Amino acid sequence: MMDKQAMMETARQMVANIDDLPTIPIVATQVLQLLDDPDVDVDKVADLMLTDQVMTVRVMKMVNSPIYRPTQEITSLKRALVYLGIRNIKEIALTSSFISAFEDKGGVIDISTFWAHAFGVGMVSKIIAEKIQYRDVEKAYLAGIIHDIGEVVLSYYQSERFSRVLAIINEKPVRLIDMELEEFQTTHAEIGYCMAEKWNFPEAYKEVILYHHTPREATDDPVLCSIVNLADLFCSVRDLYYGGNAWASFNLSEEEGWAILKEKHPNLAHLDVERFCYELDDAVPVVKDLVTSIFSKD
Amino acid sequence: MAISDKDFELLRDFIYNLCGMYFHTTKKYFLESRLTKRMEATGTKAAVDYYGLLKSPRGGEELRFLLDEVTTNETYFFRSVPQLNALETKFLPEIVEAKSKMGFRKLRIWSAASSSGEEAYTLAMILLEKRATILKDWIIEIIGTDINETVVAQAKEGIYNTYSVRNVPELYKKKYLKEEGGKFILSPEVKKFVTFNKMNLYDDTKMVFMKSFDFIFCANVLIYFDLASKSKVVQHFYNNLQPYGYFFVGQSESLHGVNDKFKTVHFPGGFAYKK
Repeated sequence: MMDKQAMMETARQMVANIDDLPTIPIVATQVLQLLDDPDVDVDKVADLMLTDQVMTVRVMKMVNSPIYRPTQEITSLKRALVYLGIRNIKEIALTSSFISAFEDKGGVIDISTFWAHAFGVGMVSKIIAEKIQYRDVEKAYLAGIIHDIGEVVLSYYQSERFSRVLAIINEKPVRLIDMELEEFQTTHAEIGYCMAEKWNFPEAYKEVILYHHTPREATDDPVLCSIVNLADLFCSVRDLYYGGNAWASFNLSEEEGWAILKEKHPNLAHLDVERFCYELDDAVPVVKDLVTSIFSKD
Repeated sequence: MAISDKDFELLRDFIYNLCGMYFHTTKKYFLESRLTKRMEATGTKAAVDYYGLLKSPRGGEELRFLLDEVTTNETYFFRSVPQLNALETKFLPEIVEAKSKMGFRKLRIWSAASSSGEEAYTLAMILLEKRATILKDWIIEIIGTDINETVVAQAKEGIYNTYSVRNVPELYKKKYLKEEGGKFILSPEVKKFVTFNKMNLYDDTKMVFMKSFDFIFCANVLIYFDLASKSKVVQHFYNNLQPYGYFFVGQSESLHGVNDKFKTVHFPGGFAYKK
């Protein structure tokens, strides 16, 4: 194992050398600040969000997707805010900003492939969080969506070397993260962590980004890291990955994320894993449709 | 006949809880068409009435008819591609490495409901392709068993129709199948690795002798068994599997609640069971 500190240092250098690092749109930052106020006024949030057309359209698309299961189509932003509740708005506003931050940059990983994985892991994280009655299901969803932001950095700013890495994992039975380490002496986990630092993400999210492959190392919220870790694994064996997963496989009983969740929630031992998998299969087209709708211009 | 989403979920849950077979949402259309046949045969008018029939005292018998319809009771070469891919790219190399370290050079595979032999012969073809590389000088034993004597005889014969071989990749077709008068004749090279026997999975005295398998396949059979029989048969499979071996069931089947010792190993497009 390579020196962790050296890996972090390499990642920090890589992020520091990016001179056009995307910023989170101002409106998103303001919306998030406003939403931190416990007595927030829904009208105020709606007014602020309406100043960002792109964000408004995305919120409407997301709220009407099967992931949120509205009984009838929601057509006004204010109704969407009331329906979703303040917490969900936060997650959608952030998600929308991430999409904007990385749109139209032309990375190695195709944008809809990246977001299909991100939303897939978000959704599966949410399902696992619900199953174990995790205290903040929306947080799990958002953590799932942002867990791989480090890959975006590699995809956009190290495109030549990163395409080499992707080519290798398509031909040989090696893991993406291991090949990254070989090529860059660091991985998407450390790089994502450094990005999250720059963007002042809350501690719990930074930890998920850094430890989603090694949840045992997490100290702040190992359960959240384990949720995202497992969601990532389940998506890696479905059509919600970056490709090169022909060799992907995992023995659930040997995964540290699974062990951590079972320690904290013994009832998980009785989970019908088979049915859980079949239901995830059913959810794959739902995620794909959502991504298509978010990126469609109409 | 179209069935509502609610009725679809009702039937899906009922079949899953009773047989351990899951209907993916993408297969709703397929289930509808099969259900329509059974509803016509039983004279039921609405999906909800048919559901009532399944739950009635006569339901057990009707369920068998329905399962026959939905499993289509047919088999063909290269049927469960994700399982075959996982075996070829991941599990086989892993087992070959583990056994080589221990000085073993023998591979044993059991197709536990072999029907007319397509599954067993598919595996033989895949392994034959590895004879030049990782399976050089290995002894390969593939055993097919089925309760039905007629299909066992067919399997031994090794002659197939166009439908059975429609999924065989060109490379394999050229090498191992000869077309003659609209039929496909399997090459003796493939046949020599496979033996077929009549066997009842309920027969404990025979089951205990099926030892030391690296891979066991048993698709679309356990769904017909009640829970007690299923548990008993699956325990036999468990005992007959090597510690590093893999057990595959049908692509929508589930052993949840049948055996809590098996672990699930997940791969692109499915999962297998392991000790």
